[in-house]
Amino acid sequence: MYRYDEFDHAFVSQRVSQFRDQVERRLSGDLTEDAFKPLRLMNGVYLQLHAYMLRVAVPYGTLNARQMRKLAHIARTYDRGYGHFTTRQNIQYNWPKLSDMPAILEELAEVEMHAIQTSGNCIRNVTADHFAGAAADEVADPRPYAEILRQWSSVHPEFSFLPRKFKIAVTAAEHDRAAIQVHDIGLQLKSDDAGNLGFAVWIGGGQGRTPILAKKVRDFLPEADLLSYVTAIMRVYNLHGRRDNKYKARIKILVHETGVEQLTSEIEAEWAHLKDGELRLPAADIAAINAYFAPPELGDRAEGWGELAAWKKSDPGFAEWVGRNVAPHRHPDYGMVTISLKPIGGIPGDATAEQMDSVARLAEEFGHDEIRVTHEQNLVLPHVALADLEPLYRALLADGLATANAGLITDIIACPGLDYCALANARSIPVAQEISNRFGDPARQAEIGEFKIKISGCINACGHHHVGHIGILGVEKKGAELYQITLGGSADENASIGEIIGRGFEPERLTDAIETIVDTYLVNRLGSDEKFLDCYRRLGAAPFKTALYDASAQAA
Amino acid sequence: MPIIWTRDGIVDNDPWIIPEHHEDAEAGLEPGAAAVSKGKTLLTLEQALALDGGESGFGVILQPAEDVRALASLLDRVAILVLTFPAFSDGRAFSQAMLLKDRLGFSGELRAAGTVLLDQVPLMLRVGFTSFVVDHAPTLERLEQKRLPGIDLHYQPSADTTRDPGGYSWRRTAILNG
Repeated sequence: MYRYDEFDHAFVSQRVSQFRDQVERRLSGDLTEDAFKPLRLMNGVYLQLHAYMLRVAVPYGTLNARQMRKLAHIARTYDRGYGHFTTRQNIQYNWPKLSDMPAILEELAEVEMHAIQTSGNCIRNVTADHFAGAAADEVADPRPYAEILRQWSSVHPEFSFLPRKFKIAVTAAEHDRAAIQVHDIGLQLKSDDAGNLGFAVWIGGGQGRTPILAKKVRDFLPEADLLSYVTAIMRVYNLHGRRDNKYKARIKILVHETGVEQLTSEIEAEWAHLKDGELRLPAADIAAINAYFAPPELGDRAEGWGELAAWKKSDPGFAEWVGRNVAPHRHPDYGMVTISLKPIGGIPGDATAEQMDSVARLAEEFGHDEIRVTHEQNLVLPHVALADLEPLYRALLADGLATANAGLITDIIACPGLDYCALANARSIPVAQEISNRFGDPARQAEIGEFKIKISGCINACGHHHVGHIGILGVEKKGAELYQITLGGSADENASIGEIIGRGFEPERLTDAIETIVDTYLVNRLGSDEKFLDCYRRLGAAPFKTALYDASAQAA
Repeated sequence: MPIIWTRDGIVDNDPWIIPEHHEDAEAGLEPGAAAVSKGKTLLTLEQALALDGGESGFGVILQPAEDVRALASLLDRVAILVLTFPAFSDGRAFSQAMLLKDRLGFSGELRAAGTVLLDQVPLMLRVGFTSFVVDHAPTLERLEQKRLPGIDLHYQPSADTTRDPGGYSWRRTAILNG
């Protein structure tokens, strides 16, 4: 993974001093809260319902054990002993004191971490496929490009006061695990016929109040042009994006209102001036950044095949966990292990300091010191030998981290909702917990199969509800919480925005409604190999509507 | 009373006058040459474009929505360009400045007006602003002390004068409080 050089260390250290000075001026009154707000947001500090919140960047979701231990230490020392992994591959602390923030940032800097641009109307933490560097289906590791974008976008003088936040995601596989079509810029690393690397460039995707899928503006942008082209997009957006209404300020609205062809021609015209300039990436620089991401030495461990088969036979729980949470690695003797942060009835994405320490230790022992955070709020050990799966599983089991539900109906994404968030209209966490408990039986989950439920407590859609197979949106109606259900959303390469199925449900009726949808699917599917999403796309909303609303009308 | 600050310190007797209601073409300003002859009142874009060709040494104030490229043919005769920040959250003038300095090669004075606060000044310097209209007392105090809250290491080229520290092509350094 990337390691800071002297320049990076000096930069982060000066950034911490800069923020310390800003906090002091805020506390002395030289800075008003109004003027301080964008400054603290650009360093990940929110003012939430009960306390300040700090969002720490995990660039493209990659961590090592030392960094994870530091996250645990911060949870223990400055917070209440836990942290919350987010849908943007970051971690949030819910209870730190403002006066402790500079000290926390200094601690993070010791392990080459920061909170730069985890919020604010600037270029946010660049996200990437959580299986990058290990997946069999990728063209190349996309993270070096995410790292180049991270560096280039850090305290960018021209793009620190954009109309609205700006999110970039990078993947390198046809099967999109990074949800690039719901990002402001989505980049798919690919190879041309001659073997050169470049990007398919998508712009204008986003969720929030107006969910829109991204439009492809370039099928193959040579890798050397990455920064110049992104600069051209950013400049056109910064000059022309709407600033009169924050709900219309994302680039998706500019694309929609200007038209993708017109906007693309403006971007291309701008790029024509930039492409041969200082931003053109020298091949040597790309190679130097790539060198940091050289895969670990993975020796052959063929003995794992036999051992794995024997262990699976003797322990059905282990077999189930391997079946759900271990995906094939590009080295046949290894697997990519998902550590579920979705225990049945738990809070999606939360991890205690002890659990973080355990994951750090296990990453060192079994995982070549690599950890990933997924946008689905789980952790991943990307390089584990099949021969090590059994001891890893035993250790995870002891720490409550062996829930075998990756990709199943209890692997729920949920934002913090009204339990923490100042923007929320409704609770998300208790909704997720109740659904998780309802469907917690392993046999039932397995019977239902792949299923993505995503829950947001307000229209800002941090819980990605628009792209859930079932999306749940909490709204406030006449002072009470009400939950709208959407069906058929997806964030992969066949992305779609879910459709609202009908009127919303009160909190006490919501889980029943979810169960009705699931039962309707089970009755109507062609077989257990027809996934919910495929079934919904084949049948449309009608049978689900009938089941949800006709039955309840009869019952009433 | 707003003060004009540059990296050389506070400017006394700055001649440039921002017209009242400058966004309003009907504000009583004479168009074109007549306005120039009145002295140092900044021209609007419309007035500047109406000049007949002989004048030079005039100043122009632009609004964030205006296309700075419209001034391309006049730039060698412009003494000062003023870009405006209606609110500190409105960052359009950062891109306008880049286009003027980096694209169009404007070498005259580039002034930031509107909401100019301490923490934005280092970024404004990077995109090529050279003078600042400041009326926020704590900001002015820090500027006078040459204690700007910026960072000397940069991850991107911009319109300012920087050093290439070697290593990756996108990196630059500059001493902010030198």
